[in-house]
Amino acid sequence: MISLGHFVALSTVLFCIGLFGVLTQRNAIRFLISIELILNAANINLVAFNRYLAPASAEGQVVSLFVIGVAAAASVVGLILIISIYRQRQSVFLDDFNLLKW
Amino acid sequence: MVNIAHFIPLFPFAAFWLNIIFGRRLGVASAYVAVGASAISAVLAWLVFQGLLSGGGSYTLTPWLTVNGHPITLGIIVDSLTVMMLLVVTVVGTLIQIYSIGYMGGDPRFSRYFAYISLFMSSMLGLVLVDNLFLLYICWEGVGLCSCLLVAFWYEKPAAAAAGIKAFITTRVGDTGLFLGILLLMSVGHSLRFSDMGVINAPEPLMALAALLIFMGAVGKSAQFPLHVWLPDAMEGPTAVSALIHAATMVAAGVYLVARCYPLFTAHPLALQTVAVIGAISAVMAASIACFANDIKKVLAYSTISQLGLMMLGLGAGGYTGGTFHLMTHAFFKALLFLGAGSVIHAVHTQDIRAMGGLFNKMKVTSLTFIIGALALAGVAPLSGFWSKDEILTAVWHHGNFGLFIAAVTTSFLTAFYMTRLILLAFFGEYRGAHKAHESPAVMTLPLVILAFFALFLGLIGSPWAHHAFQRFIAPAEGEVALDIGMAVASSVIALAGILTAFLLRGKFLEYKPGACPLIENKYYFDEIYDALFVRPFHWLAAAVARFDRERVDGVVNGISRCVQEIAQASRSLQTGLVENYLVAQAGGVFVLIVVLTLVGKLCHIF
Amino acid sequence: MTEFVFYTIAVGLCAFALLSVTVGDVFHSAVWLTFTLLSVAGVYFLLGAPFIGVIQVLVYVGGIMTLFIFAIKLTANIGDARIRQFTRQLWPGAVLAAVLLAFLLAVIRANAWSARALPPVQGPDLKEIGTELLTRYLLPFEFISLLLLAALVGAIVIGKVKK
Repeated sequence: MISLGHFVALSTVLFCIGLFGVLTQRNAIRFLISIELILNAANINLVAFNRYLAPASAEGQVVSLFVIGVAAAASVVGLILIISIYRQRQSVFLDDFNLLKW
Repeated sequence: MVNIAHFIPLFPFAAFWLNIIFGRRLGVASAYVAVGASAISAVLAWLVFQGLLSGGGSYTLTPWLTVNGHPITLGIIVDSLTVMMLLVVTVVGTLIQIYSIGYMGGDPRFSRYFAYISLFMSSMLGLVLVDNLFLLYICWEGVGLCSCLLVAFWYEKPAAAAAGIKAFITTRVGDTGLFLGILLLMSVGHSLRFSDMGVINAPEPLMALAALLIFMGAVGKSAQFPLHVWLPDAMEGPTAVSALIHAATMVAAGVYLVARCYPLFTAHPLALQTVAVIGAISAVMAASIACFANDIKKVLAYSTISQLGLMMLGLGAGGYTGGTFHLMTHAFFKALLFLGAGSVIHAVHTQDIRAMGGLFNKMKVTSLTFIIGALALAGVAPLSGFWSKDEILTAVWHHGNFGLFIAAVTTSFLTAFYMTRLILLAFFGEYRGAHKAHESPAVMTLPLVILAFFALFLGLIGSPWAHHAFQRFIAPAEGEVALDIGMAVASSVIALAGILTAFLLRGKFLEYKPGACPLIENKYYFDEIYDALFVRPFHWLAAAVARFDRERVDGVVNGISRCVQEIAQASRSLQTGLVENYLVAQAGGVFVLIVVLTLVGKLCHIF
Repeated sequence: MTEFVFYTIAVGLCAFALLSVTVGDVFHSAVWLTFTLLSVAGVYFLLGAPFIGVIQVLVYVGGIMTLFIFAIKLTANIGDARIRQFTRQLWPGAVLAAVLLAFLLAVIRANAWSARALPPVQGPDLKEIGTELLTRYLLPFEFISLLLLAALVGAIVIGKVKK
């Protein structure tokens, strides 16, 4: 039998893989990919808790729809920023962009 | 017609605002505004005088403040003393302003000058009109401010700026005393009205102290010993200002204050005695300095101190009429002398009398009027100064203190001597100057002629031929007055002796080499003593405080800022600008947060 | 049966996700991400939320992944496998993620709610979700549409080649 803990554990694994990606990727595009993993982990949690704890309501699913929407907007802007920066500096590597350094 | 008195200061006050706001646009017309305003005030003063003769008196405009349950009213005092002062201030003021049109012509701050003069006129008129010490103090500071502004009028000259500061600070010493006296009167006497001065019921030593403190204000304003040092320096201002403020009116305010609070002084003999002694010291000391001064304005300045001292001496010796009479006559002839000196300076462009000489033939009007003024000052009968000085000498004689009488006589003698010396050096002999001298324009000589007229004849209103009209007007309670023939003869002899001595010594004046009389030539070292006693220690104190501020206070402040800088410098290296580093920190932080929250949740479960 | 499906999807999901953040080529990484997202859609179906699963496929796989591919292709010569893809803090990052994972799994194990079984009732259907969206969540719903519009406009403005 699959309990709630299984789904939450799955989403935790996905989250930590995303976190690992965020912490280690040089490439801005792969950085964004890692962020998508984290967002999906969150979504799994939302839907799973909705299903197990309050099966009659649709709140978790609705919020996960919002998350998908926001994620779409974030990727659009993030990717276009990367492309824009690439045009300026011919690079998408985060450690090339340390303009905020003292 | 007495109830229009409070309008008198308002016209010059309006003129001040007109000139200060529209002065640039008015140009030369600002002089006409100022002269017109004070002429109107003069007419009003005359109307008030007539009103007083036909039985008017003081009146109250409106209650103003209540201090501890004791009211301070906005009141106007109209009596003989006030009316005398009103007439003197408005007439002399108007004449001097007319003179200033010529004297200040072409000055870049022409309208500013007339604005200040108007402000001064309104403050001075207010000073003599108000009926309590509180309002008087306000006007008192007003005239002090104008004095400072006008002494430092040519503030491009460092000496003028310094003199303005010196005048302000020195009089401030006296004003502090006056202020304390007012507070003391208010707290123990419960009234600041002049009409209550004689009847205040309060502990004796405190009231005597109040009288002395008020006299301290008078000492500062009237440049009496030991606060006289500012007046000679104040000669850096325009000569017309010296004539109006530092000879005729403002410096007389101290004498006016003593006369105004006279009941307070007569009730406390110690205070009155102090007035007499201070007056005597100032009179003799300043007169002796004047004998050695070579700057025409300085001679007149010391003469002013000396004559004010004589007035104080007269008041202190119980000669109320003598003191006030001399105040009036002195205002006219000293204004005349200053204006004459201004005319001379205008012509020869120097103030050193050793560089003048022989001006009599070149500037007839100026010379003649100047000589009239000098004779009046010297006390030659029957010019105005004779009658008033004679009155003072009589009072001092009757007072009975022989030392004071000697002081008064010495002052008279020295006065005659130094004025004669001045005239001999400036107007007779060979012309020793380089600049071509010429007579001044009519706008300057006309006031001279009018003032000379006053200097000649004004004294007669106090003479037996006018049945002592002045004495009966100013002090009706003193009863019958009569001229002391013996004293009149004596004072004439003293004056003539002074003049004669000067004539005998006239050949020596130019040959005189400085150094024979170092004490007097250096003005009794007052400036040096004050410099050593007050100015230098104050500078040291200021320097010490500044050093403390710079090294200790600033050290703390700078230390704090340096600390912040160091910390910032150290933490700056954390800002690598690499997003990955920030993210690690963030993730680590989140991790710690999760752990803490979990543990706290666990603990909450347990308890 | 359900267990089998779950474990299959779970293992696939973890493997795809790990591959997408570790392979050398960025383009490959995007491909693995696509598989990951599809697996997540499978999880949704498993959780009785078919609508979310469909949306996941439509929006992520159909929309966002296309964008990623575009971006990768537009930023030429960075997909080269020879270029170093990891930052200098590979090991600190890995350790941090692993420790956090271990801690969180321990927490999940220790809590009673993780053992909850599937309730017998059916999950909400599409009609309920639609009603919620247009009644209680109308305002956030409209905000999301505004946000998307703003992102659209912003992307055009930023991406425009300045002359």
